[in-house]
Amino acid sequence: MTIKTVIGEAQQVKIAIELIEMGARLQVLQEETTLSRERLLKLYKEVKGESPSKGMLPYSTDWFISWQPNIHSSLFMGIHQFMIKNAGIDGVHALITAYRLYLDQVQGLEGGEAVLSITRAWFLVRFFNARMMQLVPCRECGGHFVAHTNELHANYVCGICHPPARAGKTNVKAKLGRQDVSVGA
Amino acid sequence: MNTIQLQEGIRDINLTYLMLAQQMIKQDKSAAIFRLGLSQDLVDLIGGLTPAQIIKMASANMLLCGFRFDENILLNMVTDYSKSRMMSQAHAAIMMTSQPVAEMA
Repeated sequence: MTIKTVIGEAQQVKIAIELIEMGARLQVLQEETTLSRERLLKLYKEVKGESPSKGMLPYSTDWFISWQPNIHSSLFMGIHQFMIKNAGIDGVHALITAYRLYLDQVQGLEGGEAVLSITRAWFLVRFFNARMMQLVPCRECGGHFVAHTNELHANYVCGICHPPARAGKTNVKAKLGRQDVSVGA
Repeated sequence: MNTIQLQEGIRDINLTYLMLAQQMIKQDKSAAIFRLGLSQDLVDLIGGLTPAQIIKMASANMLLCGFRFDENILLNMVTDYSKSRMMSQAHAAIMMTSQPVAEMA
């Protein structure tokens, strides 16, 4: 991708636009495209009509372990792995396609809220590449779920087979106007 | 329902299925592989069918699309109403992603 061609650049812009529309942060765009920061900034403002949000990205691996995020990230990661294995795509294309399919699945769910943002999804893929996280089969249902590597997974039971006592009750709080205090989006 | 009606129904479904599949493949091939649960070869094959071939294939009097929830546990999950609807669907979706795709022999 080092040789700059007009077609190549147009493809990069297309990828950037797709990512921006999905809500990706500027840092993601800088990593995944070859466009310069200035051009990405301009593009971001054109697409979104506002400046990109500043500050650190949500970098925590623990977020993916808590109950509802774990289900969503496992769903996304399952799709992502499926894409790599069966559709023969990788990198940013796999990310975009998998995220779109994830949104598709989430729409069918009750509430229909995409808990996993594209930025977090991108981080998750990077955590997997860095072998900080892995998919672990649940002992009861056999589905694969996101977990830290090198933990004791022999008897892993997923959050859907055995939901924690107060699982899914935070929605009520959220409706009362309490904002999520976790870092970023 | 007599045999003729039955065959008509099957032909209808086949035609709808093939046309929908082709539409999906044209729009986004990799997404279609996931949604249809078919291998790349099969997706290429269906995507390249001409309208005449589609009509011929559809009139085979045999259903062309198969049942994908072929595991007991998966079937229970989709039909189990004791869990909240949201979770059983998410659960099924997670399990579906680890299912193999249908491939050409």
